[in-house]
Amino acid sequence: MEDQRQDRMSARLAEQIVRLRWVWVVLTLVILAVSVVGLGRLSMNPTARVFFGETNPDRIALDQFETEFAKDDNLMFVLVPKGGDVFTPRMLALQGRITECMWRLPFVRRVNSVTNFQNTTAQGDDLLVQDLVPDLPYGQEMPDGTCDLAIDPAAVTLETAQNARAVATTRVELANSTVSADGRVVQVQALFKFPETDKAHEVPMTAQEAFALRDQVQAAFEDVEVRLGGSLIINNQFASAGEADGKLLTPLMILAVLLVVALSLGSVFAMLITLLLVILSAVTALGALGWSGVPLNTVTVLSYLYIFTLAVAGAVHILASVRQSMVDTADRKEWARRALRDHMVAIAVACVTTAIGFFSLNFSISPPFQELGSVVGFGVLVAGFFTLTLVPALITFLPIRRQLKPAMTSRAMVGLGEFVIARRKILLPGMGLLVALLIAGIPQLKLEDDFLRYFDTRFEMRRDADFIEANLTGINALEWPLNSGEAEGVNDPDYLKKVAGFVEWMRAHPQVTAVRSVTDTVARLNMNMHGDDPSYHRLPDARDEASQYLFLYELSLNYGMDLTDQINVDRSTLRVSVFLANVTTADMRVFTEDARAWLRANAPELDTAPTGLVHVFNLISHRDVRAMLSGSVLALVLISAVLLIVLRDWKIGLISLIPNLVPAVMAFGLWGYSVGAVTLAIAVVLAATLGIVVDDTVHFLSKYVKARREGHSPEDAVRYVFRNVGMALFVTTIALLAGFGILAQSGFAVNGDLAKLTAITIAFALLADFLLLPPLLIAIDKFSEKKEVTGMPMKPAAALIAIALLGGGAAMTLGSQAWAQSAEEKGLAITQEADKRDLGWGDQTVQGEMILRDANGNENSRSFQFLSLEDERAENGDKSVTVFDSPRDIRGTALLTHSKIEPADDDQWLYLPAIKKTKRISSSNRTGKFVSSEFSYEDLGSNEVADYDYKFIAQEPCKVLAGQQCFVVESYPKNAKSGYSKRVSWIDTAEYRLDQVEFYNRRGNLEKRLTFHGYSQYLGKYWRAEKFTMVNLQTGKETDLIWRDYAFRTGLGEGDFNAQKLARLAR
Amino acid sequence: MRRNWLAWRAERRSSGRGPIDEGIKAVLGGALGLLMAGSASAQEAVEFYGFVEFEGTLFAQEERFAQQERDDFSFAAQPSLLMEWQDGDLALTLTPFLRWDAADDARTHADLREAKIDYRSGDWDVTVGIDTVFWGKTEAVHLVDIINSADAVEGLDGEDKLGQPMLRVSRLTDIGTFTGYWLPYFRKPTAPGFGGRLRAALPVDADNARIDASGEEFAQSFALRWARSYEAFDWGVSAFHGVSRDGAIAPFAPGTVLGPDSKLTVVYDTITQLGFDGQYTSDATLWKLEVIGREGQRDRNFERQNYIAATGGLEHTLYQIAGTQADLGLVLEFAYDSRGGDALTPFEEDVIAGARLSLNDEADTALLFTASTDAVSGSTALRLEAERRIMEGWKAEIEGQAFVYVDEEEIESALQDDSFIRMKLSYFW
Repeated sequence: MEDQRQDRMSARLAEQIVRLRWVWVVLTLVILAVSVVGLGRLSMNPTARVFFGETNPDRIALDQFETEFAKDDNLMFVLVPKGGDVFTPRMLALQGRITECMWRLPFVRRVNSVTNFQNTTAQGDDLLVQDLVPDLPYGQEMPDGTCDLAIDPAAVTLETAQNARAVATTRVELANSTVSADGRVVQVQALFKFPETDKAHEVPMTAQEAFALRDQVQAAFEDVEVRLGGSLIINNQFASAGEADGKLLTPLMILAVLLVVALSLGSVFAMLITLLLVILSAVTALGALGWSGVPLNTVTVLSYLYIFTLAVAGAVHILASVRQSMVDTADRKEWARRALRDHMVAIAVACVTTAIGFFSLNFSISPPFQELGSVVGFGVLVAGFFTLTLVPALITFLPIRRQLKPAMTSRAMVGLGEFVIARRKILLPGMGLLVALLIAGIPQLKLEDDFLRYFDTRFEMRRDADFIEANLTGINALEWPLNSGEAEGVNDPDYLKKVAGFVEWMRAHPQVTAVRSVTDTVARLNMNMHGDDPSYHRLPDARDEASQYLFLYELSLNYGMDLTDQINVDRSTLRVSVFLANVTTADMRVFTEDARAWLRANAPELDTAPTGLVHVFNLISHRDVRAMLSGSVLALVLISAVLLIVLRDWKIGLISLIPNLVPAVMAFGLWGYSVGAVTLAIAVVLAATLGIVVDDTVHFLSKYVKARREGHSPEDAVRYVFRNVGMALFVTTIALLAGFGILAQSGFAVNGDLAKLTAITIAFALLADFLLLPPLLIAIDKFSEKKEVTGMPMKPAAALIAIALLGGGAAMTLGSQAWAQSAEEKGLAITQEADKRDLGWGDQTVQGEMILRDANGNENSRSFQFLSLEDERAENGDKSVTVFDSPRDIRGTALLTHSKIEPADDDQWLYLPAIKKTKRISSSNRTGKFVSSEFSYEDLGSNEVADYDYKFIAQEPCKVLAGQQCFVVESYPKNAKSGYSKRVSWIDTAEYRLDQVEFYNRRGNLEKRLTFHGYSQYLGKYWRAEKFTMVNLQTGKETDLIWRDYAFRTGLGEGDFNAQKLARLAR
Repeated sequence: MRRNWLAWRAERRSSGRGPIDEGIKAVLGGALGLLMAGSASAQEAVEFYGFVEFEGTLFAQEERFAQQERDDFSFAAQPSLLMEWQDGDLALTLTPFLRWDAADDARTHADLREAKIDYRSGDWDVTVGIDTVFWGKTEAVHLVDIINSADAVEGLDGEDKLGQPMLRVSRLTDIGTFTGYWLPYFRKPTAPGFGGRLRAALPVDADNARIDASGEEFAQSFALRWARSYEAFDWGVSAFHGVSRDGAIAPFAPGTVLGPDSKLTVVYDTITQLGFDGQYTSDATLWKLEVIGREGQRDRNFERQNYIAATGGLEHTLYQIAGTQADLGLVLEFAYDSRGGDALTPFEEDVIAGARLSLNDEADTALLFTASTDAVSGSTALRLEAERRIMEGWKAEIEGQAFVYVDEEEIESALQDDSFIRMKLSYFW
């Protein structure tokens, strides 16, 4: 009866859709027009950094590092003379020429080569700094604007060449980085500073000029081989790899689509309709992306191929049904009606679940996957819409030839059904064993994110990178900013010795090819200043010596060769760059750990995590797997909800979890056994495939449930399923396998891995649905018949799922929290003193009023009482209650907060007086604005000393307090969810009162300024301001927070700050 | 001198509010104060607050039953008076509620939402009088919430409740709060009358309901609750014995002749209920569960049937969506009742999905959209609530409910033509 009702509804709806067929055609044309305009707005984001979200803590660390030193985009112009010697006068002259030519590239900041190496020597008591190959002639201005490559080998004397060889192959600054130790390979390196105003074109344009220079050199010097490397080339590859893939894969994909349709339907018009549908869906989704203004990237550029693959299945269902109907009737409208009636619900459900799966990719920390999820999810929904409207409309219009012979029957499927039923006693444990075996392979998975090797060897960039690593130097760079803890601290001999020790330790490491550190320069200078006496080739013993040497050296350097990318502005921090060769991501993580262990043992105050592009990639999979776990759980819950609605059976709904989850797990296991290494694509596979594999489950289980409701035995129900949907499941799986199999050919490992894992998962899903699910259903149904207790299996299963979900949640919150030890003792000491002076007030009550003022001066106010209870223990936060008085419609609304030390979130409860409900709420929203004021939740939360790292900056007159001196202290939030990169606080030296705080947003820009006005002292000790003014310097909006009627020690206790007693305070 | 914080607040309130408060304080304060023990206290405070509301309701379809009016206009007021003595340890709250309704006489009604004296001493709290109490965690279905009877003419969501006379004693301990209730009087839930929409073919005779055990409204009920927040978990365990707040409709005696004035009789049984409500808060996701077991309740077939019901799900909030200050809360809950089609609730095997959009603007604009679907029959209802402050003190609300499909077998089948949109304008002072 239930199904009849649903059939009636479907039939009515199908009738309507067919009646309105012209509407769909017109609507499609409109959507197409809008989308095509959107396509024109698409742009490309050409950088490896697209994979880092703005909140990724590793990226934030990298940004901070790059603001302090320099953002290194480099180009390695590698020369390999066939003669095998880079130190011939001719080769040196060529290097000099190329050095000059590279200076002419756009956005170039500096060029380093053997020829312009700043060699220091003693000349009597003076320091002589000059180019290693001096006095090279300048090139001519060329009429076509290219660089003059004519060289004069005579400009380099044999003696100069000998000297260059001697210096370059022995000095740590050059050997194994600029030139190979055997002198066969050399590079000229350009460093760029991109203005980042036109991101889509700066990199490709510069790369094009680099390629042109290479071609020019290659043409003029046939005996020299040129190879290019560096982040400029890599980033350019990130921009163009998608294009290359697209050119290769798109025709294949269209071919596959046509082939699948032709084989299963055998009609030219069916092929045309399907092709039109997949193209329309892809165009609409990409058009929407264009309108949204989000640029494409290496991952999303292939999103249309996902949509192609996923859109085919629905069309096949409709067209296959038409193929059957045409045997019975010649009425085209009836074909469309029947197809819709029979398949509408299944197609809609399939689209929605697939879309949910892809939408959940938004939980990824990596923006390309978020965008891929949104685009594909949207595309699948659009495809569903077109399948249910446009496709039936086209069926009624197009002259599809009627075929009277029934389509091939699926006798094979009936046979398979019988086989499964007969062998179920073996299949169930057998499949269980297979699943268990495969699961055991999961630990073999190694997260491996070598972004240089995301590209396979069909790319020239990858071949060049491999060559450079094998013959010249390592290209994986880890950057260590080693902070001495004081301004000018880099001159401290102790500090320098520790850094040099660290450098020495690293150089001894077999995988390290080169280490760049100013300590080498300082040691060299020390020798030079002592008349080149080799016994002085060590760090100086006195602080002023080191300082003087560096000063002299910098004075003598050529333009663009200064040390600002090695030493930070206040000269407190040196940068140590380490280049590793032939290492895996895991090796680098181990190396990082070893290096930090060395630092902890030998220079604990310098211990810090490295950074650099490579380092961010090293950790990205670990972070994303954790982030996507919650996304996958949410997708699972939502998809299960859809399944429950469709199947209307709790028991079957719970059983469905098995065929939905098992395939991805099996795929992971198989990958673990066979390949092992996997890129960050793995994090999103579970969520992305869940929505796809669930389609098979829906088809299978809904038919099974239907047969069971009609009174068939479990075995007959399974037979019914195989007869009715077996073939369709098989065909759609083959279509999906073909599609993802083609995508798997992508030369970009992230795309390739995602497609391969998805294809494997889909194949396992068919296996699970055909071989595991039927025996399981029969076993469970037989078991519950025996027990004669309906619904019983639900409870233990529900309990299991609850435990699994909670367990997953717990695992997500686990994970090591690195607590960097702060060397910034003075900043910490000031903050601790301020905190100490404010200890012991017990509890306080105050009337608050918040006045919100926009840039035009319009005001809006809210008033509230604010009660707080101190907790003097450093490991605990304070407790507070805010009770609103006005606006009057929120009178009595109260917020209870139990502050926690970072990184733990606070506990918060909200009391709603209208229904008298106290509700525990999430407090993870730190950056949101409190009641639309300029104060964020974070600003108003209790700030505990341990929540930040500190750094003392200066002492200067206070900004607000007249005639007072203030400490200026920077504090850096430890919590990654903070909206700030740092705060700068002015604290007066006399009473340690906050005078002013400046808030810098994550991009490092000054966003807000908070000033404190009208301090009074209470209880003879505690200072309280009567007004806080927060000005948003970006928007001009302002919020005053006015405090009246401070009262202390009013007898509030723990019992008042209890969630169950909140109603009483809110009264 | 240690002064109580409530005294601090009382001082502010007694000085800060307008002439109405002063007047009331002068007239009532002294008189009532004399009646209170320990009226010699230094601080007393009076606050007068509340709201009035105008409401218009438009229905999408024609009324189904004779005597029903198509659309509706209504007015309501809920003033409150709060007085505090003894530094706030002793408080009197008085909150009457009045509604006048153009279409339905049964909806024109008055109630005392609160009329109580709260007294606090250390960790102990005692309340005598009429009060409203909420228990529970979930958003859509409130299973464990049982102290108050529903004021069903006010809304379908069970969040409008009649004030319940009680003696309540509560103690805060290290392992949570223990509260005991003695509920000496049963409030009969309200129900729409002849003129009202959102009812079955015959209206319920709310005033002449049968109270099963005692037959009279002075029927004793008792309740106990233990509530605790521990780390990321919040939970409550409750027990109730007494008159059920859910009525079963009695079948007509054989041979009854139904006339235009016939009404349905509702019977309220004596029941025992055990309940659990819990929430686990993980970052931006709240996981919620409520479970009850009830004994002695009559079902839709007027037969006593013990049952278990559960509801639970999750609420996940996306903060600052699309770079704005708006938050989007997504709610997904399931409801289950072991009685299935015999349940007295429409939520016997349902999926409820909702989205709450809070713009976080100065006007506190908020939008709540929920869709509930019966997993068995496919009955589906959509609901939209939107509210926004339009100027200081004034708030506009729109509430819409659409019964998209109602299966004939469902308890709510009579509502299939009652999709409506309701606009409210309220003034708060």
